[in-house]
Amino acid sequence: MALIFLNNVTISRGNYRVIENLSLEIKEGTITAIVGANGSGKSTLIGAIAGDHPLDEGSISINGLNLKDLSLGEQSRLRSVVSQEQFFWLAFTVRQVIEMGQLYENLSRVESVVSQLGIAAIVDQSVLTLSGGQLQRVAIARALVCDTPIYLFDEPLASQDKKSRADLISLFGTMRDQGKTIVVVMHSEVSDLDWCDQIIQDLT
Amino acid sequence: MRKIYALTLVVVALALVALSVGATSVDSVWAQIFTPNFQSSDVSDQILWQIRAPRILGAIILGIILAVAGVLAQGSTNNPLADPAFLGTTAGAALGVVIGVLTNAVNIASLGAIGWAACGALLSTLLTFWLARNALQLIIIGIAVSATLTAIVGIAITVADRSDVRSVTFWSFGSLSLLTWSSVAVIAVVALPVLVSARILAPQLDLLSLGDAAVRHSGRDPQRIRLIAFLIFSIAIATAVSQVGTISFLALAAPHIARFLVGPSHRHLVAAAAIIGALILLVADTAARSIAPPQDLPIGLLISLIGAPVLILALKRGGVQWR
Repeated sequence: MALIFLNNVTISRGNYRVIENLSLEIKEGTITAIVGANGSGKSTLIGAIAGDHPLDEGSISINGLNLKDLSLGEQSRLRSVVSQEQFFWLAFTVRQVIEMGQLYENLSRVESVVSQLGIAAIVDQSVLTLSGGQLQRVAIARALVCDTPIYLFDEPLASQDKKSRADLISLFGTMRDQGKTIVVVMHSEVSDLDWCDQIIQDLT
Repeated sequence: MRKIYALTLVVVALALVALSVGATSVDSVWAQIFTPNFQSSDVSDQILWQIRAPRILGAIILGIILAVAGVLAQGSTNNPLADPAFLGTTAGAALGVVIGVLTNAVNIASLGAIGWAACGALLSTLLTFWLARNALQLIIIGIAVSATLTAIVGIAITVADRSDVRSVTFWSFGSLSLLTWSSVAVIAVVALPVLVSARILAPQLDLLSLGDAAVRHSGRDPQRIRLIAFLIFSIAIATAVSQVGTISFLALAAPHIARFLVGPSHRHLVAAAAIIGALILLVADTAARSIAPPQDLPIGLLISLIGAPVLILALKRGGVQWR
């Protein structure tokens, strides 16, 4: 059975229909990539699954439950989200940011997640001093500490160097093998996405 | 935390010094301070314990609640410029009290007046927030809302010509000279829940600094956190405005100075800003009543004179980034 199920979803931004009559299934324990040109609705789609955008028509269900009927708390136990842009205005340390708002029982995971993502050396550094790629990995760390069945990543590889890209792709593979379901928005050629199980291109 | 304890001791020491200075000199003042006689009808006892003491304690508690209001305003709007005086809160509180008094619903400086002020404060803050579309607009619209409401207050009290409604100067610059033990008691009753609830809300404000989407994704409602913060700082500002008028700048400066000392985490920031606020208002008010006695200088001038250089120094020492 599909873990995430979109049924005839239509979403508008202003007068413009970004996503039209889209139906798709995302199976448990798979990696799904959403690709397409700028402005093609990739981020809108992943945002809709994250519960950020109201639907004009259709429905999204996760684990057999209609997304509309799930509270913010229930959604947060099903999925973790990493947005494309990270927003910081205060000089919190990387560790403070990763631990913010986490459930107490998940805090024990921080150390292993931090070393998995190769940011152990910067945990006591202020987030205001980090590069875009480092900030992205901090945001991914926040998501991984949550330990949810589903992960939604909006362009997680965008500002990463070649080695970090390879490390993250192999990490995503390991997570899939542990039964996690991953949805990524990507800006790559389809031919570079052999590590994904499903590729979604046409959203309208 | 050690810095906070040290600053608390400084506040206590300064409070004793403040007790010893004033327009009228009191004979053997230190002996009288350490052997207090509250009931005495002696003039020097009256000056120390019925005039200076409530004013000093009032300054400390008001400094605490104004600074905490500033922490909540900046944290809840994710805006380092957010000051309740720039969000319409302060002007709304003043209008609330003036309406309450002019309609004979409440007496000035009572608990009821705080209620009216709190309603005005919350409504005007919500109006500003509802009208603004982004962080910059929040301040511009807030200043416009404040200007409009302040003008209405000025016109209303001039036209009404009532002796129990305080002067335009009081509503624009504030004054601690009218503080009595009963008004200090009223302020203290509100200050404690304000401080405690701000401390409880602190971790949520940390999370809110990551932006609304991040808050929603971790299962909480950012607007709910914001509304609770608005409610707490509206009550705090309402208390200050209804008792001593408009005191601006302190709520803006204290959180920034406190971040320089203890960093951005709101758990520590609430306590540190509270102490800094108490310190600045105490020093400013003591200076206001002792620089040119028997004149009481407007408190707002001295807060700016003392607070602004300290703020600049803290930001310079702290580097270019928001701490």
